[in-house]
Parts: sequence; C-alpha cells; structure tokens
Amino acid sequence: MLCKLAWGNVRRAGRDYLVYLLTLTLGVTVFYAFNTVSMQVDIAGIKEEGLSELMGSMLGYLTYFLAGVMAFLMVYANNFIMKRRKKEFGLYQVLGMGRGRVATIMALETVIVSVVAFVAGIVLGVGLSQLMTFFTASLFKTQIANFHFFFSVHAFNLTLACMLVMFVLTLLLNLRAVRRTKLIELMGAERRNESIKTRNPWIAIAIFAVGVVLVGVAYYRLLRDGFPLTETGDKLDGAMSQFGITTAMVTVGTFALFWGLSGMLIKLLQSLRGVYWRGLNMFTVRQLAAKVNTVCFSMGVIAMILFLAITSVTCGMSIANVMNENLERYNPVDVSQTYVYYTPETLDYYKEYVNPSEADRMVLADATVDLYAAWHGERKSADNNDETGKKVNIADVAGEHVQIDSYLSYPLGGSGPSVVAGEMCKAMGEKLPKALEGSNADAMGLYVTPASQYNKLRQMMGEEPVSIGRDQYLLTCDMGGELGDLYTKYMAGGHTLTLGGHELKPATDKSDEDTAAIANSAMGSNPGTVVVADELLSQLNLQPYSSNLLVNYKQGMDVSKADESIKYTMLDNLLVDGKEPGGWGVFITRSEMYTQAAQMNGMISYLAIYIGFVLVIACAAILSIQQLSNVADGSRSYRVLAQIGCDDRQIRHSVMAQQAVFFLFPLAVGLAHSFVALKVIIELVSVFGDMSIAGTVGLTCAIFLAAYGGYFLVTYLMSAGMVQAAIATRYSE
Amino acid sequence: MQTTHMATPVLEVAHLEKVYGALGNVTRALNDVSFTVNRGEFVGIMGASGSGKSTLLNCVSTIDAATSGTIRINGQDVTRMKQAKLSQFRREELGFIFQDSNLLDTLTARENIALPLTIARTNSAEISTRVQDVAARLSISQVLDKYPYQMSGGQQQRVAAARALVTDPTMIMADEPTGALDSKSARLLLESLEALNRRLRATVLMVTHDSFAASYTSRVLFIRDGKIFTELRRGDTDRREFFDRIMEVVAMMGGEGSDAL
Repeated sequence: MLCKLAWGNVRRAGRDYLVYLLTLTLGVTVFYAFNTVSMQVDIAGIKEEGLSELMGSMLGYLTYFLAGVMAFLMVYANNFIMKRRKKEFGLYQVLGMGRGRVATIMALETVIVSVVAFVAGIVLGVGLSQLMTFFTASLFKTQIANFHFFFSVHAFNLTLACMLVMFVLTLLLNLRAVRRTKLIELMGAERRNESIKTRNPWIAIAIFAVGVVLVGVAYYRLLRDGFPLTETGDKLDGAMSQFGITTAMVTVGTFALFWGLSGMLIKLLQSLRGVYWRGLNMFTVRQLAAKVNTVCFSMGVIAMILFLAITSVTCGMSIANVMNENLERYNPVDVSQTYVYYTPETLDYYKEYVNPSEADRMVLADATVDLYAAWHGERKSADNNDETGKKVNIADVAGEHVQIDSYLSYPLGGSGPSVVAGEMCKAMGEKLPKALEGSNADAMGLYVTPASQYNKLRQMMGEEPVSIGRDQYLLTCDMGGELGDLYTKYMAGGHTLTLGGHELKPATDKSDEDTAAIANSAMGSNPGTVVVADELLSQLNLQPYSSNLLVNYKQGMDVSKADESIKYTMLDNLLVDGKEPGGWGVFITRSEMYTQAAQMNGMISYLAIYIGFVLVIACAAILSIQQLSNVADGSRSYRVLAQIGCDDRQIRHSVMAQQAVFFLFPLAVGLAHSFVALKVIIELVSVFGDMSIAGTVGLTCAIFLAAYGGYFLVTYLMSAGMVQAAIATRYSE
Repeated sequence: MQTTHMATPVLEVAHLEKVYGALGNVTRALNDVSFTVNRGEFVGIMGASGSGKSTLLNCVSTIDAATSGTIRINGQDVTRMKQAKLSQFRREELGFIFQDSNLLDTLTARENIALPLTIARTNSAEISTRVQDVAARLSISQVLDKYPYQMSGGQQQRVAAARALVTDPTMIMADEPTGALDSKSARLLLESLEALNRRLRATVLMVTHDSFAASYTSRVLFIRDGKIFTELRRGDTDRREFFDRIMEVVAMMGGEGSDAL
C-alpha cells in the first residue's frame, strides 16, 4: 500500500522530481565516467609507463572533491523537492497517518528516484566512458588500435558506495524535516504571506562596500605579491601566510558583496525614481531582493567555484599550450646528447655524495671531449636483453651534426661567474623577471660558447651565420619570454660585457631564439649563453661546463629505428685515459620529447576540462533549481500581475531580468577574480615563454559558457512556461 | 440621495453562456445570463457555492473566456478582444479586489498600490500623488511603507481596494471582498466601497454570498444554477430594511430546496 502510494507520488510529482532525477543522473554519469579514466588510458593505446597509474591516483583525489560537489548538489535538489511536497505530507498526517508511515513513504520515494537515477546514470556513464575513450585518445594524440567495450567494476563500486552515502544523508535530512515541521506549517505552506526579511539598507550598503574594498585590496595584494611559489626557505612561510590572508580577504569579500547586494540594488534603483517607478522594475528589484537575501550564500559559493573552474582550466591549458608551441624550437635536431663535466664547484660534491665508490676515477675537466668520436662501442644496457653487447656507432645513423661546448664564465680552476643575469638587470636598471625573484637564479651565470660552433648549428638549420668579431659578443637563449626579452634589451641597449678583462660590445641588437637551443628538451635548454669569437675563447682558457652533440639522422632513415639503435650507448665510452672528466648527461630524441609533450598536454587538458566542466555544470544546475523553485513560488504573484493588466511580455521580461542577475552576477564576480589571478599567473609563467590565452582555451571556455548559457536558457524557457501556465486561466477551457 | 437614475450603461451582458468540460461530461456554469449595469451603480451578485456567480465575474472581468454571448464594457465587446488588448483593457478599465487580498508579498503597500500605474508607465511624480490620494481616502496612509505580512487582514484588503481604484477604472470588480475578514474589518471595507460609490460615482460589481455585505449595494442580482433568479433594488429603503428583503429572497431560494446558502 505504501509502496503504491510512493510510486504514485513520484509519477504525479513528476516535474518536481524531474529536476532531482536529472541532477542525480547527471551526477552518477559523470562520477562513473570520471573513474574509468585509467581504463580509457589503456584502451586509448597510451603506452607510457605508469601513466595510467599516475592518472588513476591523481583522479583518485579528485574523486573525493567531485563527491563533495555532488553531495552538495543532491542535498540542494532534495531540499527543493521537500519544499514542494510539504503540503502533501501534511495532508497525510491530517488524514490520520502516523509520522512513521509518512516518513516511510518519503523514504520509498527517495529509493525509487535514487534507483532510477542510479541505473540511468550508470547506463549513460558506460556509454559516455566509451565515447570519452576517443576524446582521451585525441587529447593524448594517439590512435585507438584495438577498441573494445569495457565496464569498470572499480568505478561501479565507487559510484555505488558514493550513492549509498548520499542516499542515507538525504534520507536523514528528510526525516528530520518531517519530524520537525508542525502540521499547521505543512498545511499552510502555500497560503501564508511570505514574511520578507528586510535588512537595514544602510547596513547592507556598508557591508557591500566592505566587500568591494576587501576584494579590491585582495586584488591589489595579489598583483603586488604574486603567488608564493617563487619564495624559498623562511621567506616562503611568510609569503604563504600573506597569501593566506589575501585568500581569506577575497573569500570574505565575495560573500560580503553578495550579502549586501540586494540592499545596495534597492537603494540605488530607488534613488533613480524614474527607473524604479516604471513598468515592472520595482517588482523585479523587490523580487530579487527577497531572494538574494536567502541565496546570497550560494551565490557566493558559485562565484568562487566558477572562479576556480575558469582559472584552473585557462591556466592548465595555457601552460600546456606554451609547452607545445615552443616544442619545435626546443627540439632542433633528431637526437641530442649532453655531457656535463665536473667543475670546481661540483667535483667534491660528486666524490663525496653521488658516487663515492668511483671517486678516484673523477677528474676536473680541463678540456672538452669530442662526443661524436667517442660515441661507439658495445651496448651495456638495453630495454631488451638480446640487444646488450650489440655494436653501436653513431656514424651509422648520423647525418649532419654539431657539437656545442658550453664554458663557465671563469678560467680553469677559478670560481664565481663573471657574467650574471642579476648584474645585467642592474646595469640596465630593470627589475628581475618575476619567476627569478627570491630564487638563486639571479646569481646564475651565463654560459660561453665559441662562435664557430654556434654558426655551424645555424647553418645546419638553414640560417645565415652571424659574424662575431674579437671584441664582440652575442647573447642567445631559447626560452623566450621575459628572460629572452632581458637579453634582447641588453644587446639593443648597446651594453657591454666584461669577460676575463676584455670589454665586449654586442655584435647585433637581436639574436634568433629559434637557433638558440643547445640540446633537445621539454622546456628549453639554454637559459643564456654568451657567444664569442673562437680566438678569444681559446685565449681565455675557460672552465668547460658541458658538451652537447646535436645530430640529425641520415636522409631517409627510419627515425624510430635510428632512435632505438643508439640508445644507452654514450656515457660508457667516455673515459679519457681511464679517468672520467664528467659525471652525467642526457640523451634526448626529438620523437620522445614530442610524445611526452603530447601526453603532458593531454593530461593537463584532460584534468582541466574535466574539473572545470563538472564545476560549471554543478553551478549551473544549482542556479537552475533555485530559479525554477523561485518561479514556482512566485506563480501567484505572476497571476496577480496578469489580473491587474500586465501583459505577458512584460512579465516574461521581468522573469528574464531576475534570472539574468542570478546567473550573470556570480559569473561576473568569478570572471573578475579569474582575470586578476590569471594576470599574476601569466606573469609567473612568462619566464618560460609567451603564454597566450587563445586557441584551445578559447574553445574550451566557449564550450563552458555554452553549457552555462544553455542552462540559463533552459531555465528561462521552463520558467516562461510555468509563468504562462500560471496566468493563462483565460484559456482554461 | 439615489444616483441610479442615470441611464448610461457601463456593462451590458447579453445571453452569456459558459460551459466547462468536454462532450459527455458538461457543466453548464452560466446559462443565458443577461443584465445591464449603469454608471455609478453598486451592484451585488449573490448565489450559493457553485451557482455560477464567480464564473460570471471571471467572464466579465476578462480573466476567463465566455463560451457564447457578449459582454460589453463601455461599449467594447471584451469577448472578441485579443490577449494583448485584454491586458491593456484590464489595466485601463477595470479594478480588482479579491477574497484574499492578492497583494504581492515582496512589495510594500505603497508599491502594491502603485503597480497598475507603473505598468501603464505613468510618470513617477504623478504616481506618488495618486497613491497618496487613494490611500488617504481609504485611511491607509499610515501603512504605506509596510509589507503585506506586517498588516492586518482588513488593512490588506483596503490596500487591495486602493490598488483597484488608483487607476480610476470604469468599473471595480470585487470577488467576495469580505470573505476573509472579521466583521469589523468587513464593515469598514464595505463602508469604504459605499462611500467610493456615492462620492466618486465609482461603478462597483461585487460578488458575495453574504447578505450583510449585499445590503450595502444599490441592487442585488440573485443567481442560481447559472441563471439569474431574480433581482432586488434598494430604492429609497435604508440598509436594514434592504437587508431584511435580501434575507427573504435568500430564504426563499434556500426554501425551494435546490441548495442552501
């Protein structure tokens, strides 16, 4: 009997339950699909070792977050339903049904809806996760070789557990609601004049002003101090607590802003008498004010969530973009091998801490090694055991090649660089780039390289050589951004450099950053090099720092085969007379960098889009539920308006205006916050390259806005329908 | 003292019919109803629950559509008007007072009264003076800045009356205006309506099932089963006497056993 009643209720209260059902289903779908990501990664054919584990564990934490967002959404949607059903539950009690049985009916209703939502959500989630596999593959730039239908038991269990917890939670809340409310309130829920909690408008304005000031000061502080990431040691704690204060200010300020908003709006509009006493403006403003009072908290939450979503998405995708855009510049050749020498500053450290057992083999480098000549011999280790011991010779694969030697800017056996970025800034009276502040990078010395090697690399890349005289220098850097700008400015300003007592003038006023890389890399290999004439360099007798061999394969060679054939062979063959002048080096192929970048890009984009999308949808859903319930509550008012001669169009405009404020205000505040935060982030990241917010970011934001706007539109259309139904008594026949 | 000798008709209802429901399950709420209301008249419509009196008022006030027949207000046939025109017509020609005052909860009394004027885009200075005037006439000046929930039922009903009057409508429609009021508030409201009718020549059409309320009018139409059963004119009699005559009709209608009041 109770079951039948509950089932009937769910069917009858269909429209009210629809919102709840949709929200719940959407939640389950997203939750399930999200937790299948590690399986998708496997199927998408992303072979990188450990990537699926890494993604899995990263997403593991996000799952908690997602569960939190969903729980909030469910409780919210549930309250919406309960408010609508009050009268009915009151009626059951009037008819003599005990509270226990009323509670049972309600619990049964919740069960029915939850089960339906769960089943529908899982079905949709399974479908979505298959589709997402293709999306994942395209983000990671791989091909799906072997697609098959999959179902994740892990994700299913997780979703089920999460749903059960939420189910129990909503049930407890509902039971409490039934137990606490008095019968008279249940029955009279519709008819009573709603008491309007008015705030003293002057206090509201004051609070609003406080909010504006707090947010403004927080903006100022953030723009001035930046993020505390660049600080180190003791300064970091101070910076962190300062950042904490800024965060608290912006949070409190945002809520204060929304708290005072309604009072401020009313005062403002009332002072414009011609506007206030015109059409439905007065009604619209009062209606807003009455609701803003009760929803200011959720508007604040939504503004903050939108802020987080916009910032994380834009930021994540832009960083990925920067890395991708510069990939070509960072990886000029098919393969590069770097060999780093022991210097007076590092030798003791290596002997003592890194490899004490071989300390007697280590010697200070006094000359550079010819890497090309040394790159042959037997393979000592390999991915595949059969390959061990195989003969390898770089000459078998190498076409054009060049070795770039980097020296430190002090003579053999000396110490302390003589050309330092910090000093250069001082000479120009410029501020250090943001990201170098507080780190020891301002003491970073520039490398020195002979012009002949630099020009050979340029030739290899099809560029004209640059002539550098004995008393001239050229600064190169492949990182772009602020660091690159610093060097360009220095040369353009005609500033001189002093190297070993020789005063040098700039050879040109600008250097080409596309030929500045000295090895393949993910984020740039050359933070700053002084190119000088060969005669000068040999005369200065500088301390070698590293040698970099840049090799292009012979024309027509299969790149992946060539990569494979020369892997892991270099360092074993570099002993000079049984002594070892350098400790380590890196072997980097271009294809490896491209793959890595694609994966990194894919992962960042993936997380950013996913988190952002979930957050935006959650916000939009909450707003939508709020607005629909507002309209349902206000249907009597709309009917009155129609009766006293207000035409439909005017009423719809009023509804539109109210909803626009609710949807757009939090968005505007969130955007403003993001704008400031992004400005600071861009400044921070720009040292690695020019970060532009365009392309994919624009597209993603457009998708988000479309989703948000879509919710707005659907909400408005549904509201307009509800209003029409409320006022269209004339067509009742 | 009597003003009903003027013969300008404000409302002419002819052969009005209203049928609810579809084939096989038809309710005839109004059946060939015809009557005329002249300018400055205070007309009551009485009838039991389900007699069709509220349907009549809804049709006349353009809130509901008639099935057949014509309703002319100031010479215009409202049964043939388009929706947009109807809004304008309601705004300009009619004023409404309902059983529950139907004030908007979020607006103050002043704003509620001003609403029909702002909808009609009257300028704000004029709105202000007209609201003050009508509030003074109905003795509600002291509650103008209160919200509906802060007012008594009688005050709410008078605010609603003020909202109906503020546009100087051709006709005021009152649907059981005293239904939700205690006897003192009811008396105050009825006296206000009577005064409006006498002093300002406002035409009032009031639906009620309360003989006491009906005794304030100058003419009462009795409706039963969707038809006009009879009508009573107050003439020169005083209110008590008129009340007794109304009671007689009510008793007779009830006595015939169709339905009791």
